[in-house]
Amino acid sequence: MVDVFQHQLDVVLEINGTRHRLSVAASATLLDVLRERLDLCGTKKGCDLGTCGACTVLVDGRRANACLMLAAMQDGRRIVTIEGVTQDGALHPLQQAFIEHDALQCGYCTPGQIMSALGLLAEGRTGKGIGSDAEIAEQMSGNLCRCGAYPNIVAAIAEAARS
Amino acid sequence: MIEDRAPTRYEAAQKVTGAARYQGEVRAAGMLHAALVTAPMPSARVLGIDTARARALAGCVEVLTHENALRIPPAAFLTLLQEPVVHFAGQPVALVLAETPETARAAAALVEVRYAPMPAVTALEQARDEAYAPRTAGLTATDSRRGEPEAALAAAAVRLDHCYTTPTHNHLAIEPQVVLADWNGSDLLVQTPSQAVFAHRAGLARCFGLDIERVRVISPYLGGGFGSKGGAWFPCLVLGCLAAKQLGRPVRLELLRAQMFTLVGRRQETVQQLKIGAARDGRLAALLHDTVAQTSTYGEYADPVATPTRMMYACPNVATTHRLVRVNAPQPNPARAPGEGPGSFALESAIDELAYKLDLDPIELRRRNFADHDQHAGLPWSSNGLLECYRAGAEAFGWARRPSKPGTLSDGRHALGWGMAGACYPAYRIASQAAVRINLDGRVEVRCGTQDMGSGTYTVLAQLAAEALGVPYAAVDVALGDTLLPEGPYSGGSMATASFTPAVEDAARRLRRDLIARAVADPRSPMHGRQPDQVSIADGVMRAGNRSEPLIELLARVAPQGIEAAANAAPNTKPAHSYYGFGAVFAEVRVDPDLGEIRVTRLTGAYATGRILNPLLARSQFVGGLIWGIGMALHEKTVMDKNLGRIVNDNLADYLIPVHADMPRFDIHMLTEDEPHLGSGGVKGIGMLGTCGTAAAIANAVFHATGRRIRDLPIRLEQLL
Ligand code: FES
Ligand code: FES
Repeated sequence: MVDVFQHQLDVVLEINGTRHRLSVAASATLLDVLRERLDLCGTKKGCDLGTCGACTVLVDGRRANACLMLAAMQDGRRIVTIEGVTQDGALHPLQQAFIEHDALQCGYCTPGQIMSALGLLAEGRTGKGIGSDAEIAEQMSGNLCRCGAYPNIVAAIAEAARS
Repeated sequence: MIEDRAPTRYEAAQKVTGAARYQGEVRAAGMLHAALVTAPMPSARVLGIDTARARALAGCVEVLTHENALRIPPAAFLTLLQEPVVHFAGQPVALVLAETPETARAAAALVEVRYAPMPAVTALEQARDEAYAPRTAGLTATDSRRGEPEAALAAAAVRLDHCYTTPTHNHLAIEPQVVLADWNGSDLLVQTPSQAVFAHRAGLARCFGLDIERVRVISPYLGGGFGSKGGAWFPCLVLGCLAAKQLGRPVRLELLRAQMFTLVGRRQETVQQLKIGAARDGRLAALLHDTVAQTSTYGEYADPVATPTRMMYACPNVATTHRLVRVNAPQPNPARAPGEGPGSFALESAIDELAYKLDLDPIELRRRNFADHDQHAGLPWSSNGLLECYRAGAEAFGWARRPSKPGTLSDGRHALGWGMAGACYPAYRIASQAAVRINLDGRVEVRCGTQDMGSGTYTVLAQLAAEALGVPYAAVDVALGDTLLPEGPYSGGSMATASFTPAVEDAARRLRRDLIARAVADPRSPMHGRQPDQVSIADGVMRAGNRSEPLIELLARVAPQGIEAAANAAPNTKPAHSYYGFGAVFAEVRVDPDLGEIRVTRLTGAYATGRILNPLLARSQFVGGLIWGIGMALHEKTVMDKNLGRIVNDNLADYLIPVHADMPRFDIHMLTEDEPHLGSGGVKGIGMLGTCGTAAAIANAVFHATGRRIRDLPIRLEQLL
């Protein structure tokens, strides 16, 4: 039997535009590799069970819970984390909208909310971009916020969707 | 005025870019990772622990149990790994230390514990007969009594007698509790999300027999707290520090999500019997509110559940009691709006029931029973904007158009209902120190050892200093969450802001006076020889008449090393007033007549809480509080399996908290209110108030929509079918 704690696998992950050649434990999640190995701690761990969305990243452009993905299975994938959203130190319009709308309190769910929203904006579900606040809320419901920043988060996303 | 321009959140850019480093993200060289081994049953003796297989795993460094862990004195309600006794399912019985988190968890699964199970009380109702009176209910007296409540009830023209229940809740901040404990000789550095860095420092110093100065607790960011990162976290916090001391290496102990349901407190379940006697015109003649709640077998805590009944309304005959039942379950502690949250559900539901019984408008009934002073404390209100909250909230909500009969409003095939409730939460204040410093480059630093849970502390500290000193907000840096700073208040009970505000303002004003004094005494200053009261400072520039000079030029001459001022603000020990924040909350619900599904579609809140420092952030606080009220009304419940004595929904999929899709439209009104007596610079806390009354307003709206009175939370669709 393979010991998943000891058994190492080689992978290449493209994270925020940089290729990382890594040897990872077979059992290691993408979330732990980001946080513990690569010190990319912007991606948060809220539950480690796929129930809170704090660990949301984009994998090949689609939003995904990094705590539910084994790093070893992401070989060759393009991964974007919150650290890759800022371009040359300038805030993304969505990040700016989060600040203006006070779409965060403790901030711990915030990177996941932003990554999820970026994924949502890219999904273009309703034909002409994304639709009403209620639709945004529905499609963001995998991202929990215990502080209750929800309405401001939706307002920030709606503004970014318009611009 | 500060109120006119609302700066955005001080640390927002750090948080939206992922740059803010939370305490689970700090490291130390040689750090070990810890994993807990927890008991699967609610009561037992530990007969033996076999750690051999765990230790044999490569990378496992040590397994601590009650047999080999360092002895420490009892330091809190629970001191772990000191005795072979299990008080509740989920209690740690061993701690594994390993080189990686994965190894620690794998080794924890290999620890073999033999237990002798013992009888357990696994539900409150199993031991109702053994209910006892706790020493206090929160910060208040256990029982209260004025007038002749029983006789007045018996004689009342209209009577009501109902039981209301609220379940156990967990706080469930999205950031798990975590500590990195690092000893350097007998100096202990503790990096942990803490709602009370100074209290944690004192507790740890006591535990390890250290002078207080040897311990430093740092907590720059908390990923939420809500009551679960203060005293409730202490037993596990100690454990991390103990392991680090015993192993001579830094240790990181991070809780798993399931452990956040057992190890860091809970809102206790309540059973509340509420009796009301009233005259035909609605005036209250008697109120009797008896509450029973759960505590653990090893600790005592009672929320002040019946306290709104003591003071919210005018009533000559009032009796309240708090009783506890010991259950082999996790220790309860304060959770957002402790006491007043569940208590206001019973009281404000009952008042609504009375209104229907009397065929009176619920607001009119409340107006008729307005308390013009605090009849419980026998003190005048320092300020009380309740009537204005009723008026403003009703107007914004459109209450005047409400048909009084239940079941008459609809939206297509859905039933609509409107309900409202009053809200109150005491305005507390404790001692606080603060220091404000200006440096040669004109940058100002506020230093205050309080915490920011997400409540906006960084922002308001910067605003207060900027305003009182006369410098731009952007010129202020804030240092908080560190026991090396002047001692600030703990973050809880909605009291931090009211506590540090007078200290920061005083320190900043002292600094301002010092700057002006130096300027008028300096022959090279354009202010030289002016009366100090003719000199002003704004935007970092000193002015008198048509003369002006930037502060940095003054500093370069008179204080190139910068100037600092400190202050200490403490409340009156004998208050002459009763301090409360008040509000009124209005809910609209939409109920599916076939499925029983309930949606809150609108929530309007009107609040009178003194001076609002930042309307943008205050609104976020109120909305957050209201969302906790939605959770209380419709979603949240920690479920215990009575046979096993274990929590069955210890994850965020089965324990429901409100999500994006559950959000109504919010309409928040913060009324202008002068608070002259608290000595808090006019501030009253706001973090709890939004959670008070909200569950009742929603339940009252459900009654208005359906004619069904639900007295047991959370309201489930099956209750409406
Ligand atoms: S940490 Fe991945 S969903 Fe919660
Ligand atoms: S901002 Fe605290 S959990 Fe969302």
